[in-house]
Amino acid sequence: MNEITRNQFASMLLITDAFALFCFTGSVSLMTVIGLTVGILIQFILAVPLIRLGGISEKPAYIFYLAYLIMWGGLLFGMQWKTSRHIYIPYENSGGIWGKLLISGLIALVCLYISSAGIKAMGRASLIAAFIGAVCLLIAAVSGLVHLETENLFRAVSGRSLFEELATGFALSGGVGSFAILLGITKGSSMKNAAAYFIGKGVLTAALTLTAVMVAGGIMEITDFPVVTAAQVSQPFSSQRIDSLFLIVFAIFAVFSIAVQTAASAYIFGELFPKFVRFRSSVSLLLMIGAAFLLWKVPLNSVVIGAGAAAALFAVPLIILVRRGAESALKKGRT
Amino acid sequence: MEKIQILDDLNQNIEKIKAMSGNSSDILINEFVTGGISCALICCEGMVSTSVITELVLEPITNIPQKQNVRELFRHIQENLLLSIDRPTAEDYTSMFRLIHSGFAVLLGDGIGKALAFGVQGYAVRGIQEPSGESNIMGAHEGLTETVRTNMSLLRRRLKTPQLVMELFVKGEKSKTDLCLCYMKDRVPESLMKKIRESLDEIRLETILSTGYIRPFVENERFELFSSTGTTERPDVLCSKLIEGRVALLVDGVPFAIVIPKLFCESFQTLDDYAFKPYYATFIRWIKYGAFVISVLLPAVYAAIVMYHPELLNSTLLMLLVESEKKAPLSIITEVIGVLLMYEVIREAGIRLPKPVGGAVSIVSGLIIGDAAVNSGLISTPLLTITALSVISGFVVPELNPPITVLRFAFLAAGGLFGLFGISLLACAVLVNISATEDYGFPYTAPLSPFAKAGMGDTAVRSGIRKMQSRGFTVEEYHE
Repeated sequence: MNEITRNQFASMLLITDAFALFCFTGSVSLMTVIGLTVGILIQFILAVPLIRLGGISEKPAYIFYLAYLIMWGGLLFGMQWKTSRHIYIPYENSGGIWGKLLISGLIALVCLYISSAGIKAMGRASLIAAFIGAVCLLIAAVSGLVHLETENLFRAVSGRSLFEELATGFALSGGVGSFAILLGITKGSSMKNAAAYFIGKGVLTAALTLTAVMVAGGIMEITDFPVVTAAQVSQPFSSQRIDSLFLIVFAIFAVFSIAVQTAASAYIFGELFPKFVRFRSSVSLLLMIGAAFLLWKVPLNSVVIGAGAAAALFAVPLIILVRRGAESALKKGRT
Repeated sequence: MEKIQILDDLNQNIEKIKAMSGNSSDILINEFVTGGISCALICCEGMVSTSVITELVLEPITNIPQKQNVRELFRHIQENLLLSIDRPTAEDYTSMFRLIHSGFAVLLGDGIGKALAFGVQGYAVRGIQEPSGESNIMGAHEGLTETVRTNMSLLRRRLKTPQLVMELFVKGEKSKTDLCLCYMKDRVPESLMKKIRESLDEIRLETILSTGYIRPFVENERFELFSSTGTTERPDVLCSKLIEGRVALLVDGVPFAIVIPKLFCESFQTLDDYAFKPYYATFIRWIKYGAFVISVLLPAVYAAIVMYHPELLNSTLLMLLVESEKKAPLSIITEVIGVLLMYEVIREAGIRLPKPVGGAVSIVSGLIIGDAAVNSGLISTPLLTITALSVISGFVVPELNPPITVLRFAFLAAGGLFGLFGISLLACAVLVNISATEDYGFPYTAPLSPFAKAGMGDTAVRSGIRKMQSRGFTVEEYHE
């Protein structure tokens, strides 16, 4: 059976969340850090109906999650396209539009290979990839220590209220779609699995945003991608740069985060259409690329995306739970 | 193949044997009369021991007193004469020929459609020698040989327990190769044994000449870069694998055993690790992990950094590389590919040529080509150093040499075309391929992923023997 372990489950989702943070545009401030972290706590509370369900297994709900995963996958594709020019990927900038297409095509190709290997294989690989990514990020963070300025915590202004920051947190949590699907195929207690993920997400988000604020807080107004800028500013040596380290993390996380959405979509396709055995991943990926074109102008932290995440995390599972409760009450009444 | 029964008439039988063997020169048929009955002793020249057959079979068998009929004679031989330890019988020609070709002397009598066989094997075999590919310092210096029964005895000498089961069977339509499935019956689940036996039943080969003929049948069919089964030529290593609940397959004629399943981290473990102090063994193990990464990635990372990410280098190193690459007429990627291809050619030549000439190849390649290429400015010195370092690092894990060789080129192409980004993408694909590799539900990447904290005691570090003893590890812990 295609079951994954708790560590693998958390790794797959945390990679997606980290990549969304890399691609986050706009200013970040201490308010953002608080907003995002509190937002994760709220998400955990809202996820209780989903955790009680132990993942999604209803066909009508699958359709919603499939649409959501394809939309989020498309957004990730678009984010990768937009962010990559700030990462300095060789050939991409010099190759113009064809260079960008080639780079995106390569990412899509690797995503397809990864997702077609199956969720189990991807889970195992995600754990190792997350470890490598964590080591690289740790090196970047340690390098950033030299440039940390505590006054940046109060200097950086995002211009958003706490409520807006909470909404941004939801919008950045597109991984909840795959969370709902993968929770059902993860070994062990759903509550413990979910807790491991949300705690990891809280720590990761707080660490990344806090580092970004303290390192790049002084230049936040002219910063497009705060986490990328923070990584670029964090240089441990005077005559050497380690930007490429972030490039490695970016590439690995981009590939895995899109592959997770593809694999989860392919899984839903399998549940909805059991006879549709071959090309599930290819179809999912093609739909995501199509979605990327449609959602090109939609910003990552838009209200619509945040609402989608809230529905995936809370509304749909709650409806299922209420419906099941009503059905069982009706059965009891009949007997 | 249809089984033809042995005939009652001796002369007809002899004619049949001659016809079936095509009058092959190595089939010896000795006709004689004993107990008043015409008999024939058939054996294969070179497969039997002449002294054993003369002293232990021919002498007693020719001194049998008069018997009433051939059935009484055969009963007398079977019940009163202990001519050899191994005494099977055959009632069809297929079984009889298999026995003859396996070094048995076969006795036929006039008037009975049955053959008595005596194990008098005496073919030339290579003695037990030190393994050539898995040397160690502190362990035993015995290696497996080409004879399956010798290998079985090497295992039995080390594991004197009835829990060790050795199942002999024959595969190969023409070669009739003896295979031996070895396992500890208290450590391997019967369900796994059933699956392995089912896989082996799929073998329809004509001959089995190496472990490579069998391995595809006990591995996954999907494309895997790394092999999910291992091989060893050391009986002590094989015993340690059996104790850990693995299954071994011995193949007659091959001094290697197949180990099912194999984990990635095992490629970095040697028997010496358990002979040295844990701190030193841990240090050596990490050297091996590093060497593996260097052997696969170093040329690719060098090309990527020099071509696309020079900011990673400090100014002194950068100037040094610029200075040396400036003089080289070829692009870096062409240079690296050229040097690596040249190395592969030289390596292949060194392996295939007779040993004395092989030495000359090393001199020509190392001193003449290498030195001349650098002096003439065709290749830069740093690049040659990088390539040599990568190649030498690959020797640290010889078992992984085939995938390392191919991956080195693949990563080089990715790094040369797209820098560290290309390397990262390819690394993701390779990582997933490795993670998808499994054998009978045993993930190749265990205990890293799925993560098993207990397994780190012999992966990230090498724990003390006392601690390992208390753990009582079997590979079943990693089964998914």
